[in-house]
Amino acid sequence: MMTRLSARFCEKFRLPLKDALFLGFCAVFAVLTRVALRLHLHISGHAMIIKVFFLMLARGSTPCLYGASFTALLAGTAAMFLGFAKAGPLIIVKYLVTGIVIDAGAFLLPMLFRSYVLCALVAGAASSTKFFTAYGINALVGMDPVVNLQRSLLEAAGAVVFGVAGGLMVPMVVRRLKAYDVIK
Amino acid sequence: MAGDRFSRLHTTLARGSHHDNRPDKGIPLPVGVKMLLALTLSCLAFLARTETFLGMVTAANLLVFVLLRPQGVSWWRQGRLFVFQTTVIVVLYILRFGSLAGVRDGLLISWQLFLAFWPTMVFAKTTSQAKIVRAMNRIMPSRMSFVMATCLKFAPHLLEEVRDIYEGQVLRGARILPKDLARPWNWPDLVHCVVVPAVVQGMALAGNIALAARVRDFGLHSRRTCWPGD
Repeated sequence: MMTRLSARFCEKFRLPLKDALFLGFCAVFAVLTRVALRLHLHISGHAMIIKVFFLMLARGSTPCLYGASFTALLAGTAAMFLGFAKAGPLIIVKYLVTGIVIDAGAFLLPMLFRSYVLCALVAGAASSTKFFTAYGINALVGMDPVVNLQRSLLEAAGAVVFGVAGGLMVPMVVRRLKAYDVIK
Repeated sequence: MAGDRFSRLHTTLARGSHHDNRPDKGIPLPVGVKMLLALTLSCLAFLARTETFLGMVTAANLLVFVLLRPQGVSWWRQGRLFVFQTTVIVVLYILRFGSLAGVRDGLLISWQLFLAFWPTMVFAKTTSQAKIVRAMNRIMPSRMSFVMATCLKFAPHLLEEVRDIYEGQVLRGARILPKDLARPWNWPDLVHCVVVPAVVQGMALAGNIALAARVRDFGLHSRRTCWPGD
């Protein structure tokens, strides 16, 4: 009984190479699409639409429990080393925190990728992490707390709006992939 | 327009793998040293609290820039980012303190933030993708660095496939041209016509690469034993 349980537990955490490579592609595309489709909106947080979409897609298309976090780690590393990021080494933390929230959402809500409402909620929660990362970075450089709060709130508000838009696209894709029997 | 962007991105990615053949213009430092230098300068910028310290960090960054001589730095892009960031911070400081006294502090904070992120850009511009991936193999789990290296290597190929899908769908009359995408109600068309086929294509490619790796006994050794070009 215990052996069977532990085998099932290990199976849950095992990431086959095929899935890992697919998550890698999601990560690379999360970074590249951001560059290719640069929107020039000058609205803070508009890149969140792409980040949230690819991270949620990564989690929704693979059975891996930590799919979004793994993708986020790869995307952050790729963004940092390819020089596409304007946040330096902290870009990894920014991606990772978003990925962890998505994984937690998928773990707690098994119907997540079938529901537009749940996807919007989790996407909003994942995007709101922008507030904490922005506040942390500004606090590190010693910005005045009130200005920091205002600036971080401004950034997070934009990020949540765009993040929810990105999250709303995910059920559409996951449903089609399930209909074509591409994912189980 | 979208085709042009695809082409530019594809050219940039494809060039990345041939960058090794070009001689370095600056001092050829080992990747690990450059990585450490970038990280140290970035941390120092975060720690700088006085103008003198910030001036010293700026001087160190200038020295590294002159020594490494990065190619292809977009001054227009960097300048625009700095101006945008500075404007937001200075305006917030003026609102907070109600006078122009906040301008100096706002400018200093903005410059500090810029200096914190500048060294990574210099590092990325002076180090080829292949060298970075090889250096990552020393600090990351080998499976993860393999995934990373493979995905970066095959990204131009997948991008080419996505481009073919996009052009095929445009020919079939899908409303996914840039002028159509300015209207948000056409976005589901983009998802159905391009994103779903691209994801399927990505999964197929991942399956093929995984199969090829398994046939080549991937995972038998804990560290990577074969590097293209060796």
